[in-house]
Amino acid sequence: MKALYALYSDPDAAQRAVNSLKLSGGALGIAERQIVVVSSEPFDGYDFSDEHAQTRIFLLASIGGIFGAILGLLFVRFTQLVYPLPTGGMPLTPRWTNGIILYETTMLGAILTTVVTLLITAGLPHLGRRLSDPEIWHGKILVGVTDPPETARPELEKQLRLAGAAEVKTA
Amino acid sequence: MAKTAEQIRADLLRPLVRTSPAYWFAVAVAGSMVLAGVFAFSWQVYHGIGVWGLNWPVFWAFDITNFVFWIGISHAGTLISAILRLANAGWRRPVTRCAEAITVFALSIGAIIPICHLGRPWLFFWLVPYPTERHIWPNFRSPLLWDFVAILTYLSGSSLFLLLPMIPDAGAARDLVKGWRSKLYGLIALGWEGTPKQWHRLESAMHIMAIAIIPVAVSVHTIVSWDFAMTPVPGWHSTIFGPYFVVGAIFSGIAGLILAMALLRKFLHLEEYLEPIHFDHLGKLLLTFSLLWLYFTFAEHLTAWYGNDTAEMNVLWATIRGPFAPLFWAMVVCNFIIPFPILAIKRFRTITGACIASATVVIGMWLERFLIIVPTLENKFLPYSWGTYHPTWVEITLTVAGFGMMALLYLVFSKLVPMISMWELEAGVRKAPIYRRRAVHFDPQHATAKAGLAEADVSR
Amino acid sequence: MTHKWAMVLDLDRCTGCEACVVACHAENNIGTAGPDQAARGRAKHWIRVERYWEGEFPNAKLRFQPVLCQQCDDAPCEPVCPTYASYHTPEGLNAQVYNRCIGTRFCANACPYTVRFLNFYNPEWDKPLHLQLNPDVSVRSVGIMEKCTFCVQRIRAAEIQAEGEKRDLKDGEFNPACVQTCAPKAMVFGDLNDPNSEVSRLARSGRSTKLLAELGTRPNVNYLLQDSGKNNG
Repeated sequence: MKALYALYSDPDAAQRAVNSLKLSGGALGIAERQIVVVSSEPFDGYDFSDEHAQTRIFLLASIGGIFGAILGLLFVRFTQLVYPLPTGGMPLTPRWTNGIILYETTMLGAILTTVVTLLITAGLPHLGRRLSDPEIWHGKILVGVTDPPETARPELEKQLRLAGAAEVKTA
Repeated sequence: MAKTAEQIRADLLRPLVRTSPAYWFAVAVAGSMVLAGVFAFSWQVYHGIGVWGLNWPVFWAFDITNFVFWIGISHAGTLISAILRLANAGWRRPVTRCAEAITVFALSIGAIIPICHLGRPWLFFWLVPYPTERHIWPNFRSPLLWDFVAILTYLSGSSLFLLLPMIPDAGAARDLVKGWRSKLYGLIALGWEGTPKQWHRLESAMHIMAIAIIPVAVSVHTIVSWDFAMTPVPGWHSTIFGPYFVVGAIFSGIAGLILAMALLRKFLHLEEYLEPIHFDHLGKLLLTFSLLWLYFTFAEHLTAWYGNDTAEMNVLWATIRGPFAPLFWAMVVCNFIIPFPILAIKRFRTITGACIASATVVIGMWLERFLIIVPTLENKFLPYSWGTYHPTWVEITLTVAGFGMMALLYLVFSKLVPMISMWELEAGVRKAPIYRRRAVHFDPQHATAKAGLAEADVSR
Repeated sequence: MTHKWAMVLDLDRCTGCEACVVACHAENNIGTAGPDQAARGRAKHWIRVERYWEGEFPNAKLRFQPVLCQQCDDAPCEPVCPTYASYHTPEGLNAQVYNRCIGTRFCANACPYTVRFLNFYNPEWDKPLHLQLNPDVSVRSVGIMEKCTFCVQRIRAAEIQAEGEKRDLKDGEFNPACVQTCAPKAMVFGDLNDPNSEVSRLARSGRSTKLLAELGTRPNVNYLLQDSGKNNG
């Protein structure tokens, strides 16, 4: 994957870079999804970050919890009735004790669904090539364009520099 | 103290690649404790459970004491990571990973103990609900099955809670640490890039995990307490056990966390990250829980004493005045009398003070678990069933091995993973413009609201 | 008709001879603990005779109370067993299934009468005592819980015999080893579902009490005891 990117020391500069790339993107033949931002920490409160904030993970976790409850219910009801062995004068499937197990399996379902959703929506594990630069880990924010058309390169470089980058690199 | 991102990463990745002789010495000591435990367990499996000190009527002693103790210690991570995350308390940032690591390791040790304490440990898998040719499933009415499901849930949840925030740090380590370690971190990092979308997904997932793991933690130790409360014997059949155990667990968990943090601070040279203010905050929490513990202990014993039930009084006197009195009063000294002045008086609430208080609390809470189990079993209803208990070398070795295992797991972990969450620390250092877009700046003179830029400092 | 096995122990007759204890050991292949293990509290007496002094000298009175598994209807030992090694049979017995037991010892802790025992080691019998083992009863290996079964092997043998002969069981046709051995005839065993059995009759008597009845375990062992004021025996 070829990419053209620049590193910015503060998020405002990165935001300016992203804004100008989006504005001129159509003219230069660059789609929005080719604009990539990479950072070593989350930047909540900035548009370049928050536009990706929409998520259905809360709903999915709740649905996962319901599935967990159903699975738990299958365990505590049907396994006990398959080979019924009375104990201590209690009913075979008391609601109190079943409730405890259902509670736990609900939470387990919600937790596992959350993690699976995270992995899927974040694209992990990501086996392909990543756009990265060691400077990211020193606090810089990488803003770049993947697979830019050759004709657009000089203009893109200019925009990235205008936003405040010290240097523009290629990957 | 504003550290740059570069400094943070350098400081926290350095312990991964540089090892002092003290480290190897510690590993050797912890490793030999674990090996002694393995030997003791093999001895027990070969000769029979009779090599323990258990007898009729004391069928549980050190084994379940250790089980409840380690599950209790595991509540450290939940409190710090989850509750402080939800409350957005900035001071949690350097503390979360060591706390979460304690949780996972303590839970793992706590989960192994019930297997080791069985009369026939090679059949432990009968507790797992799976279809067998015998057509029989486990008994879900048994508190031990509730333990199994609860600990499974909590262990899965807290392992994931530990691993998820490790992904970005593994990404950093993958890129910054050279050699064979880079491949290991590459595996953990799962190809993490660091795009805003990934950050948001990760933060949402951790938000849900934080919300979910707190009720799970509360339920786990409640269920562990129901191993006792569900029996009709004197001293155990008490409704207060649920909350009592949860409070005791968080209490011992905070103490364990303070000790672990102090050791990390000293040996990994994290003096600038784990500052006295952190120990001050945790010390205040420990103080709160010491008072809570005292309240619950008083409430439980008062109820027994005031009710004057013969069997209950017998257990109560055995604990407070009888053969267990030295242990009981040692427990009170360790859990309240020593920690209270140290933690309540600001001059003493230093790192050293917090460590002394925590060490006594850890001892006191171990004693508390022991004193819940053994006096009741020694003094059940019928006088002919009263007995006495003495531990043997096998049980003592296994107890020591538990601590050795904890130390060993922690030592290995601290060598493989940065013990402070680098990205969270970095995010806390920078001023987050949370209110940047949405803040309403109220101008009292003009009495109109107008949108403006209000920068909020949410670091620390 | 389903049986409901129960026992009645007459404390006014019990002399404390402990022949029942010996008979139980012999019938049920219970290993002898030996002096060292017994000193450590590992002796397994499925039935034990408890001795209580009542009153002060010169009016001191001795009372003997055999305690065995009460085969409770609402047994606290049953729901706590994770592997169903302890469960309630349709005939009202609290069964202990040896091969399902993994030795969590929860049942022993839950039992208020403390009538459950653990095999701390594999049992051994010095030769030639091994020839005396009862072939109808399993020998329990290490880590397994055990307790009084009302000599379920004798119950089953009698039931199978009666079924083969196509008749009902008669009251008193068979007894557990302890009941059979009791010299003062302080122990009676039978079917509570039969209103005419000796056990039913005695259970309805004015002297009948139950041990720790207030706990709600609903035991099936009844103790007959005259009020201590009236009887100077």
